[in-house]
Amino acid sequence: MNSDLPMSRIVVSAEGVTKVVPTAAGQLVILDGIDLEINAGESVAIVGASGSGKTTLLGILAGLDAATEGAVRLVDADLSRLDEEARALVRGQYMGFVFQSFQLLGSLTALENVMLPVELRGDRMAADQARQLLTKVGLQERVDHYPRQLSGGEQQRVAIARAFASNPKVLFADEPTGNLDTQTGEVICQLLFELNQEFGTTLILVTHDRGLAERCDRTIAIAGGKVAL
Amino acid sequence: MNLALVSRLAWRDLRSGEMGLLLVALLVAVGTVTSISLFVDRLQGALVQESSNFLAADRQISSSQAIPDDFFLRAQSKGLETAQTLVFQSMIYGGDNNQLVSVKAVDEAYPLRGELIVADQPFADGYPINGVPAPGEIWLDSRLFPALGVSLGEAVEVGMASLRIGGVLVAEPDRGGSMFDLGPRLLMNLQDVPATEVVQPGSRLSYRMLLAGDNDELETLKEALPLQPNYRWASIRESSSSIGNALDRAESFLLLGGLLGVLLAGVAVGLSAHRYAQRHFDHVGVLKTLGATPGQILRGFMGLLLLVGSVAILLGLAAGGLLHLAIVEVLAQFLPVALPVPGLRPFVLGAVTGLICALAFAMPAFVHLKNVAPMRVIRRDLGVTPLSRWVSYGAAAIGSLVLLVWYTNNLWLTFWALAGAVVVITVFGFVAYWLLRGGRVAGMQAKSGWRLALSGLQRRRQENTAQILIFGLAIMLLLVLVLIRTALIEEWRSQIPENAANHFVMNIGMDEVDGVGELIEEFATQGEFLYPTIRGRIVAINDLDAKAWRAQKPQVRRRMSSERNLTWMRTLPGNNALTEGEWWDVGDARPQVSLEQEYAQEMGLTVGDNMTFDIGGQRIDAVVSSMRTLQWESLSPNFFIIFSPAALEEFPATYMTSFFLEPENKSFLNTLLSQYPTITVIEIDSVIEQVQTIINQVTQAVELILVLVLFSGCLVLIASIQASRDARMSELALVRALGGTRRLIAGSLTGEFLILGAFAGVVAVMGAEVTVAALQTQVFELSASVHPWIWLLGPLCGALIITVVGLLGSRSLLDSPPMNVLRGLN
Ligand SMILES: Nc1ncnc2c1ncn2[C@@H]1O[C@H](COP(=O)(O)OP(=O)(O)OP(=O)(O)O)[C@@H](O)[C@H]1O
Ligand SMILES: [Mg+2]
Repeated sequence: MNSDLPMSRIVVSAEGVTKVVPTAAGQLVILDGIDLEINAGESVAIVGASGSGKTTLLGILAGLDAATEGAVRLVDADLSRLDEEARALVRGQYMGFVFQSFQLLGSLTALENVMLPVELRGDRMAADQARQLLTKVGLQERVDHYPRQLSGGEQQRVAIARAFASNPKVLFADEPTGNLDTQTGEVICQLLFELNQEFGTTLILVTHDRGLAERCDRTIAIAGGKVAL
Repeated sequence: MNLALVSRLAWRDLRSGEMGLLLVALLVAVGTVTSISLFVDRLQGALVQESSNFLAADRQISSSQAIPDDFFLRAQSKGLETAQTLVFQSMIYGGDNNQLVSVKAVDEAYPLRGELIVADQPFADGYPINGVPAPGEIWLDSRLFPALGVSLGEAVEVGMASLRIGGVLVAEPDRGGSMFDLGPRLLMNLQDVPATEVVQPGSRLSYRMLLAGDNDELETLKEALPLQPNYRWASIRESSSSIGNALDRAESFLLLGGLLGVLLAGVAVGLSAHRYAQRHFDHVGVLKTLGATPGQILRGFMGLLLLVGSVAILLGLAAGGLLHLAIVEVLAQFLPVALPVPGLRPFVLGAVTGLICALAFAMPAFVHLKNVAPMRVIRRDLGVTPLSRWVSYGAAAIGSLVLLVWYTNNLWLTFWALAGAVVVITVFGFVAYWLLRGGRVAGMQAKSGWRLALSGLQRRRQENTAQILIFGLAIMLLLVLVLIRTALIEEWRSQIPENAANHFVMNIGMDEVDGVGELIEEFATQGEFLYPTIRGRIVAINDLDAKAWRAQKPQVRRRMSSERNLTWMRTLPGNNALTEGEWWDVGDARPQVSLEQEYAQEMGLTVGDNMTFDIGGQRIDAVVSSMRTLQWESLSPNFFIIFSPAALEEFPATYMTSFFLEPENKSFLNTLLSQYPTITVIEIDSVIEQVQTIINQVTQAVELILVLVLFSGCLVLIASIQASRDARMSELALVRALGGTRRLIAGSLTGEFLILGAFAGVVAVMGAEVTVAALQTQVFELSASVHPWIWLLGPLCGALIITVVGLLGSRSLLDSPPMNVLRGLN
């Protein structure tokens, strides 16, 4: 566990986050004044019906997208006030991502994919450190394989190794098991929580999987663009 | 991103073929431009050299007075080479015969360009020789030997001097320099001229000063010399308008070809860069979620572009150089001219072209990448803001403009080519769009393969409109080039048809006409015309005598009342065109004249003026009833003043005609002249031969450029098909996964490409007609025409080429199991 981040400290907070998008039929309000606070080391599941705005919320919390109104804070930084350049730096420094559709770079091997976030930060990562991470996710035999040579579950494991490579404070996951069968989903889930424990990361995930949601410390339900109580 | 990471990504992209097309497109852009301009550079040099032979110099100064020594001193002080010639007619005596010849006396430096060809025996094959006849020696045309009854080594009297026959003259470079240089040639040394004592006050002499050397020095010399009014300055363009025009147009054409090459290559670069960028949107999205800043992305991909660009430029320069060597090698047998060594310019041009192509066409696509929203990782449909898209098209437009103007140095040419392109893009964008809409209606009734094809075309209507435009543009540019080439070559060929009359005969007496005609019929091919000629001069206009008229009209610079050749005709000669007034009816009894337009202008004459002539002491009045233009390029006699039959029919005339003589029958001239000693024969065979050689070379160059540009055109087609491959692929993979047979898909692809190609052909033909018409009238000074055959050929060829290239490009998609296709997409 990270000593400089006490359990009670708030790492992610949203205040009146609203997202409105223009559509052909007029303005569509997806999120309508979301307030939430997530503590360091906590694991939180965001749940809700399909189309309720979970992915949208995650994107805004992670600074991938900007809110129409409201403030999003990561530790001390007000994400909504930063430009894309600065947000990217914050992401590289503090955040990790796992997506439903894996999102590995097809032109890099598993090992290189894992090393990528650190290299982007301008640091060097020892190859055996990355190899260790891949061993942790059970892919020691496949380090030099390209994503297209790996199954979906294997790709997701590489993505998880990559997410932890930069030792993030917050890990965002959007339906990490959505594309996988139950059994593989279970393995991935296991891995996610294990590594989460080991690295003391805050975990924010969007899921339809009841089992996955129940393993989290807390569940936030979204309905009608608001946090349902 | 750091350099190591960038180069590793670049290497990966290259290895996986992602960067391949961009690299090849850039390479071809650089290679094409380098090889074309290398070749054009060398060929232009060679052509200028070859045509300089026509003058035996780079420039000539001619006069009926001796050229002042001062001229020579000034030229030599500028480091220019000089030579001197003097041409006059003289009767020479040898054996028991005499003969009127055209004597050319030359100094030791002659000729400055080209070479003298001599033979060891009369009528034998010649070989080039260095040097001129030594003092005391002369060289004679082959046919003078039988005419005079002399042989090599014997003496001939020229004026008061007796000179030894030292050789047989076969050809001299500037023989064509003045067409009315009468009689067979005698070449002698300038030092012997005083001894002949033929140069007397009043004798008709033509002095020439030949100049060769640096072009700029020549031009400054021209400005510095007091040429007016007695000395005439001539360069190849002025002295032979048919060659000058051919050269001008060839140069324009080569430039146009190079320009289209650049344009096409640029489009190919742009297309492949866009495809590359598009395939990397997801990639960038991931990099951004992982913390790459827009700045890093920008620097990273710029570094990558720079790397690929430099590699492409280096390879392209090498490839261009090699290609050009290969071309020169292949064409060596067709190009009798030794090509001068090229300068550095083509390589600089190639490298800068590559750089500009990369910056203007590829960079915007790469800059786009930094704008990819990281949210794209989650939501794939997020595109790039439209504003930056406009910026990118703007950059491409400005880039091509800079490139074109800089490359051609010709604003007009660029303007017309671009105007054609803009018209195509705006007007025919709509055409393509509506053609596609129309396709949907047809698609409702079609069979499955076609329905799939048509619905595919419908769904991606915007992309397909763009693609039709790009295909259309490429095909259009090729059509433009083909049409212009054809028009140019036809024009050149028509100026000097094969077996064009190569001898003129003048001074045929009225009683000799039939006899001369029969003799010509027997040994040669009679030309098209038989013109009466009558000597006469203008004495008055509108009842004002010539001097008074001249005093009244300040623009009149010619001496009006000098004697000139007049003729009368029943019908307008073929190479003349009326610009004003009307040609007379054959039966019209009023005496009338038709004037050449510019001549009339210089004389201050208009239709309706009344002219009075003095013909053999008899005065005759005639009304100006029409104005004409002449074709100076055609090598047939042109008359400033033509009378109606009613005016001159009654006057005694001598006649003039022409004939074509095979070179080996040259001694027929002796037979002709011995039977009719008073007639005059003008030989223009050597002029015609020289013009034909030059035109043939220019034609080959033009065709070569066409082939090179065709190659860039094909590259654009491939790049464009590649660019749309991904979208097509994912759809067809789905169709296959859903149970579409291989045949269905092949059929659908074929249908799609056939339709795209045919539509593109239609667009191309329309654009080509407009552009060609503009180019022909504005740049090449030819008349515009419609080409019905391309309306069928364009769409057909478009459909065929695009289907073949498209199917070849999509083969892997048909042959691999659908699973691979689906996996490959992820
Ligand atoms: N850029 C956009 N333009 C238009 N509509 C949008 C846009 N982004 C999101 N939406 C709409 O907002 C709603 C919420 O989308 P979101 O992807 O956040 O839902 P979700 O809760 O993640 O659903 P799922 O569980 O199916 O993934 C949807 O109805 C979606 O269509
Ligand atoms: Mg979602």
